[in-house]
Amino acid sequence: MTSTILELQNVNKTYSTAAGDFVALKNINLEITAGEFLGVVGKSGAGKSTLLNMLNGVDQLTSGEVCFQAEGERLSIHQLTEDQRASWRGKNMGVVYQSFQLLPMLTLAENIMLPMDLSNHFNPRKAKERALELLELMELAEHAHKLPSFISGGQQQRVAIARALANDPPVLVADEPTGSLDSVTADHIFDVFSQLVEERGKTIIMVTHDLGLASRFSRSLTIVDGELAEAQTEFDRTMLRRRK
Amino acid sequence: MKDASRAKRKADLVRDSASHPDAMIELRGVIKRFSNAAGVFTVLKGVDLTIKRGEFVSVVGKSGSGKSTLLNMITGIDHPTEGQVVVNANDIYTGVSESQRSKWRGKNLGIVFQFFQLLPMLTLLENVMLPMDYVNLYDFDERPKRALELLKLVGLEAFANKLPVLVSTGQQQLAAIARAMACDPPLLVADEPTGNLDTRSADTIIQLFEQFVAQGKTVVMVTHDPSLTSRTHRNIILSDGELINEAISKALPKLRHRHMLEFTRLAQTRVYQAGEVILAKGTEVDCFYIVKQGALEQYQAGEFFAETELLRGEPSAREVRAGKMPVEIVTLPKSDFVRVLNESPITAEAIEQIIQRRLAVQQATDAFSK
Repeated sequence: MTSTILELQNVNKTYSTAAGDFVALKNINLEITAGEFLGVVGKSGAGKSTLLNMLNGVDQLTSGEVCFQAEGERLSIHQLTEDQRASWRGKNMGVVYQSFQLLPMLTLAENIMLPMDLSNHFNPRKAKERALELLELMELAEHAHKLPSFISGGQQQRVAIARALANDPPVLVADEPTGSLDSVTADHIFDVFSQLVEERGKTIIMVTHDLGLASRFSRSLTIVDGELAEAQTEFDRTMLRRRK
Repeated sequence: MKDASRAKRKADLVRDSASHPDAMIELRGVIKRFSNAAGVFTVLKGVDLTIKRGEFVSVVGKSGSGKSTLLNMITGIDHPTEGQVVVNANDIYTGVSESQRSKWRGKNLGIVFQFFQLLPMLTLLENVMLPMDYVNLYDFDERPKRALELLKLVGLEAFANKLPVLVSTGQQQLAAIARAMACDPPLLVADEPTGNLDTRSADTIIQLFEQFVAQGKTVVMVTHDPSLTSRTHRNIILSDGELINEAISKALPKLRHRHMLEFTRLAQTRVYQAGEVILAKGTEVDCFYIVKQGALEQYQAGEFFAETELLRGEPSAREVRAGKMPVEIVTLPKSDFVRVLNESPITAEAIEQIIQRRLAVQQATDAFSK
């Protein structure tokens, strides 16, 4: 049985700038099913990252609602206080960005243990065990005690994914996670995400500007000027062209 | 006679690595080799370097010259193959375990990288508090207060509770600097801290570094940007794993790095006591003279002299003596100097301009004294 894990209802986001109001998201309605690998494809400035920030509760919405549903509970995340939202995010959402933001002075294992230390979900011994398990999953076990500067960019991104999984969140959001990697490495990272969906039942939402990736998601959407559309490859291209 | 004077000059060579009582960083004979499938590659080839407390130093060099490896030696992130590294009076590699070094690093060093490495799930304030938690410095209740003060210092107090993704890249870098200063380290090391930023944000960051230096901190910064090197006390150039003699890079800044390196290898350094004659009037000028340290009656450190006579094959026009203090002079053999100048028209032109300017001053002085 499939169930909705995240739902956006009539979400609008407007930024006020010196030049006037800028509408970043227009009336977004979206249901995300648990266990899907959703891709949101769009050009730079289309609203991709803003959409992720709404899903994450990182940024405030102007109007509308984002609901998270798990274990029979439904949570309107923008109704929570800042602290409640940070705690919800720490437990339920893992984030992966284009640049990997590993702390350079901590070993790979310590980088992965960090979110566990912060959330207090695991005692120190368990946290270490779990960090090593996650490195094993990412095929990096033998590098556990190295500092990030001694491994490749692709390996660093796998560590960042492991760190995002530290607290075992049901959802991962990824903002251009392959943007700074070569195509072979990017392909490998994509396989890692696919495996997490297929074998571990994670829900993954990834935004990318790379149209070529659209076919690799279980569902892909296009975002143009803050509006969402179902992806049908040819249609996407027309739509993107129209806005050039 | 010439051979005798050369032999004397060689006997008087002084090493750059002389221990300095107020040194913050000392590298002695540091060699770093990496092995890979293609063989053994030497990245640092015997580096001797002293950086004093309170100095603001930039490190430049082409990609692959060994800049980042040099920083990794200073931060204790990597190990030298040979040689010794002393930072803040600690030999950081001899008999020190990885975890001791990690603890030492937390208290003594602030590190800033080109990509800011803020944790995306923590607010700016929490990111700045992180090193205090790690090193267990400052009372638990004091940490947020101190983090907020640091954010205030970098102009970000209004964003303290925002996540990094909601602030600009320039602001993220400022927050990373605040984090680097969390445990009030005496030394800040920055690897291309402005490489990813617009000019205005870069300027804010350099101003901040200047402020730290004014408070007595030592700042070492790797950069590609020549507009930043002009703002530091000292500019260190690395070429092919070797340090360029700073007297040479200061006197001949437009020379290509490979020529600077060649000169560095050829350079001889000699110390003259106060008032000692360096070049007698009417003698043959067989080398290019640069003042390395101290001052002559007419020339300051980083200036060269007797270039006109050297290039025109004339005997020295006047006597040159050390000033009231001992001076260090670097010399380069005439034949090599002339050959490199022929290959480096920009430097040749710059030297010619200085010759013309000096001749004009000399003529004016001569006319006045007549």
